[in-house]
Amino acid sequence: MAQAGEIELRHITKRFDQTLAVDDISLTIPHGSYCCLLGPSGCGKTTILRMIAGHEAPTSGDIRLGGESVVGLPPARRGTAMMFQNYALFPHLNVLDNVAFNLKMRGVRRAERHERAREMLAQVQLDRRFSERMPAQLSGGQQQRVALSRALITKPRVLLLDEPLSALDEFLRLQMRGELRRMQRELGITFVHVTHTQLEAIAVADLVVVMDQGRIEQAASAHEIYTLPASAYVARFMGGQNVLTGTVVTIDGGVATLVDGSGARFATPVKSPAPAVGQEIACCVRRDRVDIEKLRGPSPSPGEATNVAAGTVHAIEYQGSYVKVTIDVLESEQVVAHLADHAFLATPLDIGDAVLARWATEDVYLLTGDLTHPPTGVRPGPLQGRESRSRNL
Amino acid sequence: MRAPQAASSRFTSAPYVLVAPLALVLVVFFGIPLVLVVVVSFFDLDKFDIIPTFVLTNYSELLSSPLTYTLYAKTIKYALIVWAITLVIGFTVSYFLVFHVRSILWQMGLFLLCTVPFWTSNVIRMISWIPLLGRHGLLNQSLIALGLADHPLEFLLFSDFSVVIAYVHLFSLFMIVPIFNSMARIERAVIEAAVDGGASRFRVITDIVIPLSRTGIALGSIFVIALVMGDFFVVKVMSGGQSASVVAAMSNEIAILQYPPAAANAVCLLTIVTLMVAVIMRVVDVRRELSG
Ligand SMILES: Nc1ncnc2c1ncn2[C@@H]1O[C@H](COP(=O)(O)OP(=O)(O)OP(=O)(O)O)[C@@H](O)[C@H]1O
Ligand SMILES: [Mg+2]
Repeated sequence: MAQAGEIELRHITKRFDQTLAVDDISLTIPHGSYCCLLGPSGCGKTTILRMIAGHEAPTSGDIRLGGESVVGLPPARRGTAMMFQNYALFPHLNVLDNVAFNLKMRGVRRAERHERAREMLAQVQLDRRFSERMPAQLSGGQQQRVALSRALITKPRVLLLDEPLSALDEFLRLQMRGELRRMQRELGITFVHVTHTQLEAIAVADLVVVMDQGRIEQAASAHEIYTLPASAYVARFMGGQNVLTGTVVTIDGGVATLVDGSGARFATPVKSPAPAVGQEIACCVRRDRVDIEKLRGPSPSPGEATNVAAGTVHAIEYQGSYVKVTIDVLESEQVVAHLADHAFLATPLDIGDAVLARWATEDVYLLTGDLTHPPTGVRPGPLQGRESRSRNL
Repeated sequence: MRAPQAASSRFTSAPYVLVAPLALVLVVFFGIPLVLVVVVSFFDLDKFDIIPTFVLTNYSELLSSPLTYTLYAKTIKYALIVWAITLVIGFTVSYFLVFHVRSILWQMGLFLLCTVPFWTSNVIRMISWIPLLGRHGLLNQSLIALGLADHPLEFLLFSDFSVVIAYVHLFSLFMIVPIFNSMARIERAVIEAAVDGGASRFRVITDIVIPLSRTGIALGSIFVIALVMGDFFVVKVMSGGQSASVVAAMSNEIAILQYPPAAANAVCLLTIVTLMVAVIMRVVDVRRELSG
């Protein structure tokens, strides 16, 4: 018997005229978990959320909440509540009436609904003195708390949050993200949180769902998504990994050797079923497992050694606890290494230095899945802080 | 000591310079005529000679005549009926255009359709009702042909009915435009949030759409009421001279050169319309909402 807050999507497809927004998705979100839908813009995250809430009907497929199909039910009868992207507070009602609105629609008397609204506002830690203000007179963070209270006041079993933090500044974003997580623990209900920031997703979620173009690439815990990405897309999108591609030339004792376009040789452990010789495969190695040494003497020819990439230093970024070094490799993808700061300071590098990057075969992880489609619209901005996380895992 | 003072006085005069052109236009075309009307309303009248003194006879005669009250009652009745009908039409049409017509192209097309009556002159628009509503008009003939009536319906033309029809026809757009404008600015997400919170379609209208379009409703109401209260032409044509309005009476007075009584009447009408507008503005703070 499914628990009340369990969400099950069965072969959900959503089509808008020409566009296929959601493409045959199946997913189960356990009761009482914090789930993040993560993906680039336009991949269908909002559409999924709106279908769960009942603001959009799936073209085909079934949506089950607590084991019962809710397709066709109006939003208010699903036991879900939605927090909208820009909060969508009622501009003509003060804070208290905004929060009490959903109770008013359920016929709760004025005194009682105001009482409960006050309790709710206290729970999200919004000061009493704001309760008579109009939404336009609140800061973004305060508006967010009001929107959260309004959504939670009817005691939903599922809370759906569409980019709840994107309108906040960096500092508030971190604070509110912690509070959302705290609220979710306290209430014990299911949260589905849509975001396009990797850092946000892995910081709060029990279940991270990485999406691309209307499909789910991987749904797993943050740690698994991060260290054991299911596909080259996930590895690239999450960052923190160097993706290596090539053609298998030999397989020997659970280790496959591949050669890429430039002739460089990489080795990767393989499990059964192993790829066949001659097959195109991709594997990845974490950035913090890559070592860099200065090249003395002539550059080795490609293929001379395994798991080595020769190149020149393209960029050096100091990140506090580590140093991010980007290396241009001839005729191949850039390699990024995260070096511990003391190690870096012992043998400092300069931009333009010729270097060798190397890593151990056991740190390489074989990727399955589709090689042919690159990540769409990976956002470069907020990627950095995430890597520091990878060291803590 | 002098220089900064000069600079600051030049600085503070800037706003006055900026509003000067508008102020000038208002003074010349609105202020002065208004003052003139008020002044003339206190002049005395001897046959057709206007004597510039200060007497209250124009007002006392106006206020002691039962005809005045009948006229005002009639005009206010027209204004309220027309206001109620145009409000319903304006709200319904705007609601349909904003929330049911999905494509912007259709929305614009239908909106333009609402303005079609304004592509011809006022007079033609009104006169075109006559062949439709007249004794041997299209409507009566159809009714008789269909057997729904055995003799022509008299009330269709040259009656209160036809006056109201013409007003509604002429002034609905003044209600539609401002309501449409404020409704179109309601965020879709706000409506969805209400539905998410359990609001029925009806509650969405009463609790969200009406409060959020109240600026437009107030503006439209001001337009329609002021237009009806200030009209004499429609009443004259559409009632076939059987009904009158305050302004029609005024225009008769002016036609026979009775300027001071007409001016007194104008001042009374202005006061009443101003009061009505003030009541509307009290209910809805139009200025604050327009700026916000
Ligand atoms: N009402 C609609 N009509 C037509 N197409 C739509 C509609 N809503 C969404 N789409 C399309 O469906 C796709 C997925 O949209 P969706 O809003 O779910 O993306 P998203 O992942 O939430 O993106 P973002 O991160 O930018 O919010 C997009 O290609 C979008 O253009
Ligand atoms: Mg979205």
